[in-house]
Amino acid sequence: MIAQLLQKDERGMEALLLHYGPLMRYIIAPILPDPQDREECLSEVSMRVWSRIAQFDPVRGSWNAWLTAVTRNTALNFQRSVQHHSSVQSIPEGTPAPGASPEEAMLRAERSAALHDALARLGQNDRALFYRKYYYLQSTAQIAAELGMTARAVEGRLYRLKKQLRRMLGGEGHV
Amino acid sequence: MCDRPWETMTDADFEAMLARSVPDVPPEEIVAEVTPWRRAMNRILFGMALCAVTLNFWCLNYILPAIGTVLLLLGFRTLRRENRWLGGCFAVTVIRAVYFFATLVLNTTILQSAVFTPAVTTALTAVNAVLLLGLYFCFWRGLLAVQKKAGLPAQAGGALALIVWYALVCVLAAVHYTGWIVPIAMLVGYGCILRSLCRLSGALDEAGYAIAPQPVRVTDRCLVLVIAAVLGIGCTLGYLFGGSYRMDWQPVDTSAQAQTETIRQQLLDLGFPEEVLDDLTPEDIAACDGALRVVAVTEDHPFNDGRTVSYKESDGEGGVVSVLDTVYDVRELRLTSVGVQLPGAQETWMVFHHFLWTTDPGFCGTEVLQIWPADENMQDGWRFAGDVTGRVLYDRDGQTFTASYHTLGRQTYTADSVFFGQRTNSDLFAAFSLPRHGEHARGYVAYTAAAVQSGCLLNSWINYTHQQSWLQYPAVTAQTHRMTCTQSNGGAFRTVQDALQFYPADGQLLR
Repeated sequence: MIAQLLQKDERGMEALLLHYGPLMRYIIAPILPDPQDREECLSEVSMRVWSRIAQFDPVRGSWNAWLTAVTRNTALNFQRSVQHHSSVQSIPEGTPAPGASPEEAMLRAERSAALHDALARLGQNDRALFYRKYYYLQSTAQIAAELGMTARAVEGRLYRLKKQLRRMLGGEGHV
Repeated sequence: MCDRPWETMTDADFEAMLARSVPDVPPEEIVAEVTPWRRAMNRILFGMALCAVTLNFWCLNYILPAIGTVLLLLGFRTLRRENRWLGGCFAVTVIRAVYFFATLVLNTTILQSAVFTPAVTTALTAVNAVLLLGLYFCFWRGLLAVQKKAGLPAQAGGALALIVWYALVCVLAAVHYTGWIVPIAMLVGYGCILRSLCRLSGALDEAGYAIAPQPVRVTDRCLVLVIAAVLGIGCTLGYLFGGSYRMDWQPVDTSAQAQTETIRQQLLDLGFPEEVLDDLTPEDIAACDGALRVVAVTEDHPFNDGRTVSYKESDGEGGVVSVLDTVYDVRELRLTSVGVQLPGAQETWMVFHHFLWTTDPGFCGTEVLQIWPADENMQDGWRFAGDVTGRVLYDRDGQTFTASYHTLGRQTYTADSVFFGQRTNSDLFAAFSLPRHGEHARGYVAYTAAAVQSGCLLNSWINYTHQQSWLQYPAVTAQTHRMTCTQSNGGAFRTVQDALQFYPADGQLLR
């Protein structure tokens, strides 16, 4: 499939939608609540994969990881554009900015590195919970259903996780 | 947006910062783990593997399927609303789990042998096999439905092979296949099927993203803890209250003793041990009216391991040898056997086997007296000539209580013996439980043997099996242990043995 996509063979696109459509939909769903937006976003993700397939480097990471990143970023951009056009709601504070100044970019890189170190020291389950919440942007209800927990139990774990991260990152006072 | 340092951020700012600071590309292990499917599927596959494994040591034949059943429950619970087939899997798993866990608890009581009679066991095995085949059929159809929903081509051959595999196992069990080759081939086949299912699970990861797990009211952890707690409490109650027979203890009626006073005196004059005579029912004493002779033997037996002593003694040739010996400072059980010759044209003996706990017997579970009667030991010389009688007694606060045996009578059974191989026996069994608070626990069994030809040895054996500990699984009674185990002193039980052996012609004991 990847070879076909690299050769711009349309059968690669069909295979992509057949085999990875569920994965892409799974990532898009928590970010875009509207079903029509999701379908449009899926088309956009497919086009982005088609156009940027050359950037995929198996040495740097798996196909699934790359596709996950492309799908998530496309969905977030789609969300911003939808909200920009409607101008009804403000963009949630947690959403990454479309463009950042060099200072902001540097600051963000430093924080990412610090967070990366802190996440590496977490247990596997806590790390996965963190990514579900802050990377996949899944709702508490979805996390709870997929992990066989109640929403309240997930909230409790997230609270403790944030407290632990704040401690690890050097600021305990406000949680 | 806030760019303040971590330590000065508010909670909302901190959370926003976390969302902005996540890496662009998630780590590989996170990508693999964040799926609504794999966790449930892994549990199901592990559960299936553990439920199929039967390792008959360290109770692993119970522990592994118990873990497997819990994993199946959790796995199918996640997927139960995905389609009706997976919902069916969950329903079947719940039914099987209830049956399995109830059996685990029941196995801590001696009721299990009464409940699981051969007919019930056969019926339950058949139902279980049907449920199992139903489970795998639903699982197969459920996988196909998941693939169809995701628009992927249907392929779930591994699950289909599982159905065929279990059907073959059922056929082998039904025909009582005892060979080795087919089971080994089946075991290899099962490994291949599980490998195929693991691969299928990997392939189904693509389709698995399309499923939507249902929210739960009770967490997986909570469910596991509840199951563990129910099992723990159930088993504890089972061991506490289901490990002994219910005995109908009543105060002894001493008024009837006066009617047999004359016969009692006759028996005492003939040498009948008084402490045994005091425990006999008036009916049994009356049955000895006109007794001609009494032969009795008493011996104390230990139910402890004693202590090992070493000493030197002469070897008889001028040398000295070291000897290791076990010395018993306490011998807890006194066994007395008495033969009473009854009047009549035909030579008839009434045989009494009496036991008395001289100290606290310790754990009170189930006990059994197994009598190898004279007619069983020497069929040409003696025949059984009357009912088996007897009772159990104990003292408490100066009052004597008595009860009938829980079961008393002749049992025919097939036993495996190291010395004699497989053989059918017909012995007398008296099963009972001792009271937890009481002293001088005692009892006896009596039967009558008539001579078929004169001059034959009267040979009557008593085997007393005592349950020393609650620690056994599944729980069996002393009688079942005695009838099925080749080792008399193993696990929770210990047996002592004594015999009444004499030639009626002279009444001389063989020892």
